[in-house]
Amino acid sequence: MNVLNGKIAAIETNGSLSIIEIQIGSIFFKTILIETPNSVSYLKEENEVKVIFKETEVVIGKGTEHVVSLQNKITGTINDIEKGALLSKLRIKTSVGIITSIITTSSVLKLDLNVNETVTAMIKTNEIMLSQ
Amino acid sequence: MTHISVQKKLLAADGEMQLNVNITLEQGKLTAIYGPSGAGKTSLLRIIAGLLKADKGSIIVNQKTWLDSSKNIFLKPQERKVGFVFQEYALFPNMTVQENLLFALDKGQNKKNVDDLIAITELENLKNRKPENLSGGQKQRVALARALVRKPDVLMLDEPLSSLDLSMRNKLQDYILKVHKEYNLTTVLISHEVGEIVKMSDTVIILEKGEVVKQGKPFDVFTNKQISGKFQFTGDIINIQKEDIIYVVTILIGISFVKVVAEENEIIDLNIGDTVMVASKAFNPIFQKIK
Amino acid sequence: MIEWQPLFLTFKLALVTTALLLIIAVPLSYWLAYSKSKVKPIIETLVSMPLVLPPTVLGFYLLIAFSPSSTVGNWLNDYLDLQLIFSFQGLVFASIIYSLPFMVQPLQSGFTNISTSIIEASYVLGKTKTETLFKVLLPNMKSSILTGLVLAFAHTIGEFGVVLMIGGNIPGETKVASIAIYDEVEALNYTMANTYSIILFAITFSILLLVYIVNGGYIKQFKK
Repeated sequence: MNVLNGKIAAIETNGSLSIIEIQIGSIFFKTILIETPNSVSYLKEENEVKVIFKETEVVIGKGTEHVVSLQNKITGTINDIEKGALLSKLRIKTSVGIITSIITTSSVLKLDLNVNETVTAMIKTNEIMLSQ
Repeated sequence: MTHISVQKKLLAADGEMQLNVNITLEQGKLTAIYGPSGAGKTSLLRIIAGLLKADKGSIIVNQKTWLDSSKNIFLKPQERKVGFVFQEYALFPNMTVQENLLFALDKGQNKKNVDDLIAITELENLKNRKPENLSGGQKQRVALARALVRKPDVLMLDEPLSSLDLSMRNKLQDYILKVHKEYNLTTVLISHEVGEIVKMSDTVIILEKGEVVKQGKPFDVFTNKQISGKFQFTGDIINIQKEDIIYVVTILIGISFVKVVAEENEIIDLNIGDTVMVASKAFNPIFQKIK
Repeated sequence: MIEWQPLFLTFKLALVTTALLLIIAVPLSYWLAYSKSKVKPIIETLVSMPLVLPPTVLGFYLLIAFSPSSTVGNWLNDYLDLQLIFSFQGLVFASIIYSLPFMVQPLQSGFTNISTSIIEASYVLGKTKTETLFKVLLPNMKSSILTGLVLAFAHTIGEFGVVLMIGGNIPGETKVASIAIYDEVEALNYTMANTYSIILFAITFSILLLVYIVNGGYIKQFKK
């Protein structure tokens, strides 16, 4: 479980759905929730929140430039790689701390990912949870 | 509204203990009391029912004073309108199911009430049976129905489901919720099950060594924080297994098993038997119609 | 020819004694079962005394107490016109005291065997102590009541010492079967003694057998 500390920067609500923009250090993440500022008290601009997402939901892109729909992106360098038979764990050093990603070992081999290499970690908007 | 503020010296396993509770129960709400054994949960219920005398304090139920030690008021259990469901059912063995309920009627009270309760708790087919010929779940249903005959101001349930198996427990929880809503009761439930409390109660009070250490909405109290995941359950860990570089945690939620993938850092503090909250975003689960 | 009167008298005495004992023992054993009073052990001891005391001791003191020359005896005679010496009433009174533990102990244990939560359940349903006693407690201790009734009845039939001391041997008034047997033996009339004995034996045997069958060994704990 990746947990980052951030601050709510913007809230956009439509019906019972909200898209929340969170500032984490110098970057911004977005998440979609079935909550509104009326349904939960912590959804307030400037409020400190924890941004939570699972390692298995972190997509890895080689290099820095990609044409994809994912909005939550952060670049960093691979700190270490733990290779298993099927799955591998990558720890990526970023400006907001270490982000862990679990992807298939075959992808690691196919992309030829190595320690100290620059990569982009990407998380889909609907995979990010918030917590107080 | 029910205001309870009582003190009593209790003899616990590890010496004397001071029960000191100051709580408010709202009409129509279900309040759960949670805490380790010997924390004073049952004593508190017994004090409210008048089965145990508090050393000091007051109990005011809908503006009526049941207890006020400063004015020397102490209503006997008979004079308080309480419903009490005992852990060990406490049905009268000499009476049939129906007779157990009829016995509870106040003088001049309409018998229709008994018929209604028999219908709500689905006891029609069992109403002429003696308690010895009932299963645990059936007995508890009778005890619940009997406690409601007098339309109590406060319904108290002392770990009513602890001796039942899981599927029976689920059913009984639904019955309790049904009558709680139907009769707009003020209900107090003692329970050891976090899942049960989260499912059933509006408020939970955590009692430790005779003191209220925490109270609030069950979810907030048990999770300490709010998480935005909409797909949330409480369950008990029954297995943790390493697979490749990850861990697969098996969790029993109600009567279903679920498996959750976890990373090493997450399972460090987890042990088999721990109660955990499982959360996922509402965007992930899929479903298929089966019936 | 056998005289039926002593037998008749015996059963009349046993019946009256048992009936009165039930009325007395229910509140007494209820109190003994639930009271936390400090005098409880003393009362418990007093109730149990007839179990160990020779019946003649009891009979002797009752004789002294109720003799017309004593204050109590005088008072009873003057105000209630009650003669407790050498009378059937006297026998009943003595038998009640003598058989008290046989009724009280089964009832007391019957009360204590009922789980407190059942009693409390009745209270929180708004029922008074009396209602609870008659509708919940007593109906759920039928076997204890039966045991008490039979033990008290049988024990009264078997009474001898007390009867002899306080009742004497007045035909039709105090001459019960056990006294009649003694009389016949004294007169070396063994056949008659045997007849009385066999009848008593057969009847008490049947009663006890019935209880054992009905209660299934329940009676054992009181017959130690």
